Amino acid sequence: MSERARNIRARALARTLLPALLLAAACSNDPYPPGDAAHKIYYTVFREAHRTLDPAEAYNVSAHKVTGSVYDSLLEYHYLKRPYELGPGLARAVPEPQRLEDGRVRYRFEMRSGIGFGPDPCFELGGAGRRSREATSADVAFQLMRLADPALKVQVTDAFSAVQGFREFRERLILRRELDPAFAELPAHKQYAALGGMEGVRTPSRYELEITLARPYPQILYWFAMEFTTPVAWEAVQFYNGNEGRDRFADHPVGTGPFYVREYNKHLRLVLERNPHWYGLRHPDALGARYPERGAPGDAEGDLLGAAYRGRALPFLDRIEIRLEKESIPRFNKFLQGYYDASSIIKESFDQVIQADRLSPQMRQRGIRLARSVAPSVFYLGINMEDPVLGAPAGERGRKLRQALSLAVSSEPWIELFLNGRGVPAQTPLPPVIFGYNPDYRNPYRQQQDAKRSRARELLIEAGYPGGIDPDTGSPLRLSFDTYTLNSQQLLERQYFVDEWRKIGVDVRLQATTYNEFQAKVERLAYQIFFWGWSADYPDPENFLFLLTCDMRRSTAGGPNTSNFCDQRYEKLFAEMALRGNDAERQRLIGEMVKILEEERPWIELYHVVDYQLSHGWLHNVKPFGMSHPMYKYYDIEPERRAALRLSWNEPLTWPAYALAGLVLAALVPGVRTFLRERQ
Amino acid sequence: MESHILANLLVLALLFVGAPLAFLLLRRNRMWSEALGELWRRRRFSLLVIALYVAVALLDSFSWVGGAGAGEDSLSAHEARSVIDRAFADTPRESSYSAPLARGSFYGDEPLRAPGGHWFGTDILGRDVLHRTLKGVRVALLIGGFTSAITIPLALLLGVTAGYFGRRLDDIVFFVMSTLASIPSLLLLIALVIVLGRGTWQVCVALGITSWVGLCRVARGETLKLRELDYVQAALALGTSHLRILFRHILPNLMHLVIVTFVLLFSSLVLSETILAYLGIGVDGSWGQMIDQARNELSRDPIIWWNITAAGAAMFGLLLAVNYVGDALRDILDPRTLRERA
Repeated sequence: MSERARNIRARALARTLLPALLLAAACSNDPYPPGDAAHKIYYTVFREAHRTLDPAEAYNVSAHKVTGSVYDSLLEYHYLKRPYELGPGLARAVPEPQRLEDGRVRYRFEMRSGIGFGPDPCFELGGAGRRSREATSADVAFQLMRLADPALKVQVTDAFSAVQGFREFRERLILRRELDPAFAELPAHKQYAALGGMEGVRTPSRYELEITLARPYPQILYWFAMEFTTPVAWEAVQFYNGNEGRDRFADHPVGTGPFYVREYNKHLRLVLERNPHWYGLRHPDALGARYPERGAPGDAEGDLLGAAYRGRALPFLDRIEIRLEKESIPRFNKFLQGYYDASSIIKESFDQVIQADRLSPQMRQRGIRLARSVAPSVFYLGINMEDPVLGAPAGERGRKLRQALSLAVSSEPWIELFLNGRGVPAQTPLPPVIFGYNPDYRNPYRQQQDAKRSRARELLIEAGYPGGIDPDTGSPLRLSFDTYTLNSQQLLERQYFVDEWRKIGVDVRLQATTYNEFQAKVERLAYQIFFWGWSADYPDPENFLFLLTCDMRRSTAGGPNTSNFCDQRYEKLFAEMALRGNDAERQRLIGEMVKILEEERPWIELYHVVDYQLSHGWLHNVKPFGMSHPMYKYYDIEPERRAALRLSWNEPLTWPAYALAGLVLAALVPGVRTFLRERQ
Repeated sequence: MESHILANLLVLALLFVGAPLAFLLLRRNRMWSEALGELWRRRRFSLLVIALYVAVALLDSFSWVGGAGAGEDSLSAHEARSVIDRAFADTPRESSYSAPLARGSFYGDEPLRAPGGHWFGTDILGRDVLHRTLKGVRVALLIGGFTSAITIPLALLLGVTAGYFGRRLDDIVFFVMSTLASIPSLLLLIALVIVLGRGTWQVCVALGITSWVGLCRVARGETLKLRELDYVQAALALGTSHLRILFRHILPNLMHLVIVTFVLLFSSLVLSETILAYLGIGVDGSWGQMIDQARNELSRDPIIWWNITAAGAAMFGLLLAVNYVGDALRDILDPRTLRERA
């Protein structure tokens, strides 16, 4: 072989080997581009592509992560204060109700000036290359009309039906679209304008919005603190119609919030960037534009009222990256490696993370913090009150039977077994964070002692089923527990109750069906006991107690009262309670309502969820909010500290790679030797 | 009639009529009695294991209402409980997990009601795992047995008639077979269970519909060969009816295939049920369901292993024994080896 040829070979070898060696030396598990580490980027996850990010439709926690950051609302919650407090957002003040003749109520919102939509190509090019425009009261009115639009899958129409002319507007829209094909082709805002708008929604001026309710509904204000009532630009709805390669509006949010969507790849990530036209930049004194000075008791001891943050202008983050992460275990591992900033605790690792009801030493050593909070939610076993055996038609017998069923099951062991203790046993539908919750109240039918089992057996005798035997047939009374899942884990969770009931002698059978089959059973009223939960939309007792009103009955109105509970005394108290502000009289009314529920037992209240939120030491100002509102604009990150810790936690372990390479080489030796020998 | 009485009658009929009858029939046939003798010599242990499983299943199928050991609640006195249930009447329920033979609960180490009394531990609801595992035997044998009872007659009927009569009938059967074989069987299975509903019989029927093709194809091919043989042609020439030929000359010569297929089919059916259980559409009380319920327990820390191990080991034992026997049967019944031995 000539000298030159050998040189070329050596060079070729170096060219292939060197990069490989360099790669091995610099190997890292960092999933992000190297430059990003220096920025204040908050990383979080979504589990599957969002079905919709339209603020009128999105109604789950994962979608609210995005819509809550991109869309602002007229009113906002105080970040730290508990019980929750409503304050002005895009509006200058929280409006006072104005009573009109014939029982109508009017609210007049006055909006701030200079509220800008996030930059987006759908807007006409304005001055200085700016593609944005000012949001006005007409944009809020447009969104309110969208809520009535049958073409959108709005899940909260019930709440807005109090607005005068809401249902009529919807019907007119349906009718006109059917009759007039040319009308149906128009863009939505033109259709709404052609119909003359909604009666109860008026915009007297550019910054004024008047909402008229056909009946008093004080809780409507809470809906104005949600994305449902955000200003929406008609340009965005018209432009993003899914035609000619453009996105659908449901995949392309355009709003006035502190962040705007810069990139959305359903299979990878969603990137939110600071909105340069956000109203908070122009109104630095607004409640939602700066970090609060004061919080709830206990906030000062934690990480929530640092001197560096109090009163400072929001937002602190530069960017939010929401990444697709389908599996829970890798997600949690990436959190532990420092690649996600906050996480809930997965069931599999619970005992590793929490020991003796506090963070394990291993976690504390890493500087991880734990925030615990009771979410405004309730989970319960409902009983179909229209059932001939268990429900109201059975009269006193049914009542005693329900009381016995309620006494027989205790929530505490269940919470221990299936929730790792992450729940508060429920006495009433109201969770602790909601007005009307009475910490001293003990429901006599929700006590957790074994001695109560004998009382449950007595009740069973009083109900006329001694030992669980129906005297008419001589065989055990058989009830059905109808589930809407076939998941064996969830069936096991329900089996627990079945076993408890069996202990007092009631034969309850699990009837496992899919969700659709369960819905069909509910339609036919062919169900007896079911497991259900409710998470509050807004922090008001009305949002829990309305679940048991006659108007919300599933059987007659298709509402969320799947128990079909209807009691005239309860109804009267509810009507009075719903219209009152939070005062002593309201507390008394709630007490009476709870008393009725205690006696009637349409629900067997089980627990209120306790959220456990882990966050790393470099992430600041995290307070679990309970309701589905992302509060990212209050968060802050120390990127340098994060980068350093990530490096120290993820030092690559290289010797196995070298060992493997060595083994491969060693395995080649005999082959090479044979080859050389053969050639000779 | 109550369902448990029906089950009891079935068990009795099987034990006192079916078994002796089968025994006598096999004794009369020289080839079969020789084959079985050979099987017993080769696979004594496996046969004993299978017999043990069958015994447990029969004990679990024989049940009556009332009697001693009614347990703690007032209900069980009104329910039919099997011999196996009664054997476990004295093993009380615990509040949650406990390890095999442990004296305290798994979390918190509180004293158990039956310290050291749970051989395989208890599950999350405090139920005895050994009891559940033994109850699973009956379900597994029921799935294997009942499904085979659907599959084999169906496959034989279609395969033999198609092979024997040929022409249009053959075309039709072959078309159906190819169509079924081209649908992924798991998808078809899921679709069928969803249509038929959940339950033991429904799952068996679904499994039966998806698993007859293999045997049918073999039976058809074998019949095609058999019908051309001299003695069949001679019988035809003598004017023997088709029915008689089918029963006297074709079917007996297919029996060895049926037996081997049955044994191999059996184990694949039990395994298929596990997959269905994983999808949430299995049979209540099966090992598949136990494994499915326990799958998250493996990722717990500290690990809870006894649920999945008990169900897995029980299934492994049965399937291994069945496969051993099936393997030996195939060797023994293979015509070539038969000739060598003769």
